[in-house]
Amino acid sequence: MITALLILAPLAGAIAILCTPATQPQWVRRIAVTATTTTLAAALSLIVHYDRVLGGYQAALQIPWISSLGVSFHVGVDGISVVLVLLHAICAFAGTLVSYAIKERVKEYYLFYLLLIAGVFGVFISLDLFFFYFFYEMAVIPMFPLIGIWGSKEIKDYATMKLTLYLTAGAVLALLGLLSLYFVTDLHTFDLVTIERALAQRPLPLATQQWLFPFLLIGFGVIAPLWPFHSWSPIGHAAAPSAVSMLHAGVLMKLGSYAIIRLGLGLLPQGAYVWLPLVSVLCMMNILYGGFVALAQRDAKFLVGYSSSSHMGYVLLGIASLTPVGLNGAVLLMFAHGVMTALAFALIGHVYDQTHTRILSEWGGLAKQLPFVGTCFVIAAMASAGLPGFANFVAELLVIVGAWEPYRWQAILAVLGIVITAFYMLRAVRTAWFGPLNPRWTALRDATTVFQRLPYVFLILVLLAVGCWPSPLIATINVSSQALINRLNATQAYAHRAAPGAESSAGTALWPAPSAHGWREASLR
Amino acid sequence: MSALAPMAVELWLAVVLAAVLIYDVISPVRERSRAGWMALVGLLPVVPLCLRHFATSTTAAGGMYLLDPLARTFKIFFALAAALVILMTHEFERHVERGVGELYLLILTATFGMMTLASAGDFLLLFIALEIITLSFYVMTAYLRRDAKSIEAGMKYLILGAISTGLFLYGVSWLYGYTGSTNFAVIHAAIARQPGLSSGLLLGFLLILAAIGFKVAAVPFHAWAPDVYEGAPTPVTAFLSVGSKAAGFVVLLRVVMGVFLPAHAIWTTLVAVLAGITILYGNLVAIPQTNIKRFLAYSSIGHAGYLLIGIAAATGLGASAVTYYLMGYLFTNLAAFLVVVTVFNATGSDEMTAYAGLAQRAPVLAGTMFVALLSLAGVPPLAGFVGKFLLLMAAVHQGLLWLAAIGAAAVVISLYYYLLLVKRMFVDPPAQATPIRVSGPVRLALYGCTAGILLLGLYQEPFLNLAITAVRGLFN
Repeated sequence: MITALLILAPLAGAIAILCTPATQPQWVRRIAVTATTTTLAAALSLIVHYDRVLGGYQAALQIPWISSLGVSFHVGVDGISVVLVLLHAICAFAGTLVSYAIKERVKEYYLFYLLLIAGVFGVFISLDLFFFYFFYEMAVIPMFPLIGIWGSKEIKDYATMKLTLYLTAGAVLALLGLLSLYFVTDLHTFDLVTIERALAQRPLPLATQQWLFPFLLIGFGVIAPLWPFHSWSPIGHAAAPSAVSMLHAGVLMKLGSYAIIRLGLGLLPQGAYVWLPLVSVLCMMNILYGGFVALAQRDAKFLVGYSSSSHMGYVLLGIASLTPVGLNGAVLLMFAHGVMTALAFALIGHVYDQTHTRILSEWGGLAKQLPFVGTCFVIAAMASAGLPGFANFVAELLVIVGAWEPYRWQAILAVLGIVITAFYMLRAVRTAWFGPLNPRWTALRDATTVFQRLPYVFLILVLLAVGCWPSPLIATINVSSQALINRLNATQAYAHRAAPGAESSAGTALWPAPSAHGWREASLR
Repeated sequence: MSALAPMAVELWLAVVLAAVLIYDVISPVRERSRAGWMALVGLLPVVPLCLRHFATSTTAAGGMYLLDPLARTFKIFFALAAALVILMTHEFERHVERGVGELYLLILTATFGMMTLASAGDFLLLFIALEIITLSFYVMTAYLRRDAKSIEAGMKYLILGAISTGLFLYGVSWLYGYTGSTNFAVIHAAIARQPGLSSGLLLGFLLILAAIGFKVAAVPFHAWAPDVYEGAPTPVTAFLSVGSKAAGFVVLLRVVMGVFLPAHAIWTTLVAVLAGITILYGNLVAIPQTNIKRFLAYSSIGHAGYLLIGIAAATGLGASAVTYYLMGYLFTNLAAFLVVVTVFNATGSDEMTAYAGLAQRAPVLAGTMFVALLSLAGVPPLAGFVGKFLLLMAAVHQGLLWLAAIGAAAVVISLYYYLLLVKRMFVDPPAQATPIRVSGPVRLALYGCTAGILLLGLYQEPFLNLAITAVRGLFN
C-alpha cells in the first residue's frame, strides 16, 4: 500500500490543487509540499523496510485491471528501484521547495509538476508492462507545458517541442517492442514478474531476443540519453525552469537506463549480450564527446546539461559491463548524479532568477556576494568531478572497476572522461565564483533564510552521507543486481547448450486467429 | 405487435420525430428552438431501451433487421453523439437565420438513419439507412444559406455522396448477381463455402469498400472532407466527424469483417495499405492548417486511418479495438468541437489565432481542449491512448509490424501539431484579455466529456468487455 501511495499522494495533490482557486497560491504550495513530503516519507519507509536477505520484489500490491488482456495494476520495488524511488522523492521534495521562485500561474505550475512526479514514480514501481508504458508516457507530457510556459524565453519553444517529440518517438518504439514481446512470450499477460519467471525457465529464442532488444534499447535509450539520441537533453535542461531541470536531469533521464536494466537485461538477456558491446562504444561518445562539448559551453545550464549526458555515459557503461560491480556502480551513479545535478540546477536557478543571465563569464566573483550559494556550488562541482567523499566518486569507481574486465579500453577512456569533467567544472567555478566581483551584481541576495537554504543543505547532506557511508545503499542495490546478473549468466549457459527455446509454442491464442472464425471462450479468461 | 418489438428504439424515435415536426409547424417562430430540448429529451430513453437484455441477439423482418450487442452498443453511441450535437446546435443557434427547428429535426432523422444502420442485416436496409443519413447531411451541411462556404460544402458533399451511393448500389448488385441474395447471413455463407472470392464478388466487395471509404473519409476517398468540414455549420461538422464516421465503421465491421471475414486473406493487405496511407496523409497534412475546422478534418482523416488498422487486423482484438477507439473518440472529438463552437461564439473566428491565450480567457475551455487534444494524440491516462494501444496491439498480433510502426510514428507527428495548438492556448499571450463566458449546459457537457475521456483511459475493463461483447457476434 505504501508503494501505491507514491503515485496516489501526488495525484491527490494534483486534484486538490485543481480544486483550489488560483487566487490562493500559498495553499497550492502547501498542498504540493505536503504531497512531496508524504512521498519522501513513503520512500524512506520503503528503503528502510526493504529486506535485503529476502531480495526480489517487495511491498508489492496487485489489483487485476484489464483481465481480458492480462493487465494488472502491479506495483512493488526491488533493490534497484527502491534506490531510484528514494532519489526521485529527494529531488521532488527539494524541487518543490525550490519552486517557490515561481510567481506566475502558480496553480497550473504545481498541477503539472505533481503530475510529472506521479508519472515518474509510476515508472519506477510498475511491475506491469502496460502500466510501465502508461506512466512513462504520462511522465513525458507534463514537461511540455512546464518548459513551454515557465521556461527561459529564447529557446523554450524549440526545446520543449524537441524534448517531447524525441521522448515520445522513443516511447512508441519501445511500445512496439513491448507489444511484440507480449505476443512472442505467448503468456497473455503484461505482468513483469510472471514474464520474468517464465523466461527464466524457458528463454526466448536467440534470434527473437536479438531483434527485439534494439526496440527497447533505442526506445528507452533516447531518454537515457544514449549518443546519438541525446541532443534533446542539454537544450531541454537549459530551457526548463530550475525545479523542472532538477527533476528532468536528476530523475527523468534515469528512467531510460532503469528501463534498459529492468526490461532489456531482465527479459532479453541474450539480446543484451549481443547488443551491449555496441552500447559500450556509443557511451564512450557520451562520456568523451559530451565532455568536450561541455568544455565549450559558456552557459551554466548548458554546461551542466552536457555534463549530465556525459555522466549518463558512465551509467550506460556500467550497465554494458554486465557485471554485478558495474551494475551496482551504474545504479549508484544514477542516484549520486541525480542528487548532484539537482543541486547544481537549483543553485544556477538561484543566481539566474536575479541576474537573468547564465553566461558564466558574465557572472564573475559571485562568491563574494553569495557566499552560501557559492560554497554549495563549489561542493556540487567537486561532487560532479568525482572527488572522494562524495557518492559520485564511489559510483564512478565501481563502474570503472566493473568495466575493467570486459571493456579494458573503454574503462581507460572513462578515466580520461573524469579528468575532462574536473577541468570544465573547476574552470566554471573559477570564472563564475572567484576573481573580481562584476559590479553589476552588487545587489544580489544570498540564500539567507533557513527555508531557502533547506533544499541545498538537504541535497548536500545526502551526497556526503552516501559518499562517506555508501555500503547500505550498495548492499540494497547489490541484492537485485547480483540476482539479475546470475539470471543472465544462467541463461547464457542455457543458450550455449543448445537453442531449446526454438521450438514453437502451441499455446491457445487469446485472440482468435482469423482462420478460426470464433472466440475460444476458455481463453478469454 | 411483438414482431415489431425488436425495433422499439426506431419506433420510439419515429414518435419523437413526429412530435418535433408537429411542434415545429404549430409553434411561433421565436419558440422553435425548444424543439432542441424536445429532441434531447426524446433521445434519453434510447439508452435504457438498449441496455435491456444487452447480450441477447434477435432478428426481425426476416433477418433484415438485427438486434444484437453490436447494434445496441452503437445505438447508445449514436444517441449520445446526437445529444451532444443537439446541445452544440443550441449554442450555435444564433448563427442560423431561419429554420432552427428543422435543423434539430434533421439531426434526429440522421440519428434515426444511424440507429437503423446499426441494425441492418441486409444490404437493402443498409442502403436505406445510409441514404437517410446522407440525405439529412446534404441539407445540414448547406444550412447557412448566405455563407458561400456552406453552400459549397453542401454541393461537394452532395456530388461525392451521390457517387458513393452509386458505387455502393453497383457493388451490391454484383453481390446479388453472384449469390442471389442481399442478406448478410446468406452472402456470408456463400463466401465461407468459397473463400477465394470469384471475380464478381471481388468487384462487388471493392465497390462497397470504396463507397464506405467515402463515408469514413479514408484516403483516397477523402477529398471532400476538409472543404465540407470547414464550410458546414460547426455542430454538423462535429456530427459528420463522429456520427457519420462511426456509421461508416459499423458498416465496415458488419460487412467487411462480418460478411467477408472468410475471405480475409484477400483483403487484409489492401485494407492495411489503405490504413497506412490514410494515417500518414491525414496527420502530415494537418500540420500546416490554420483553420481549426480544417485542422480537425485532417486529424479526423488520420483517425479513420487508425480505425482501419483494426479492420485490417481482422480479429476479435481488432474489432473490439475499433469499438473502444470510437467510444473514446466520441467524447474526445465532441469535447473539442464544443470548445470550437464556444470560441467561435465569443470571437467570431475559426482561425487558430483565435485560440491564443485561451488558458487565461477561459480555463475551462483551454483545459478541456488540452485533454481532448492529448487524447486525440493518444497520451495516457486518456481514452485515446487505450484505443491506440489496442489498435497497435491488434496490428502487432497479426504480424503487421510495419503498419503498427506507421501508427506509432504518426503518434509523434500528431503530437507535434496538437501540441502547437496547446502552446497557442497556454503559452501565447491572448489578443484580447476579456474572459469568455461559458454557458451552464456547455460547461456541464464539457465536464461530462472530460470525465468520459478519463474514465475510458483509466478504468478500461468494463468498456473493453462491452466492446468485446459487441463484436463477438461477428465471429460466430
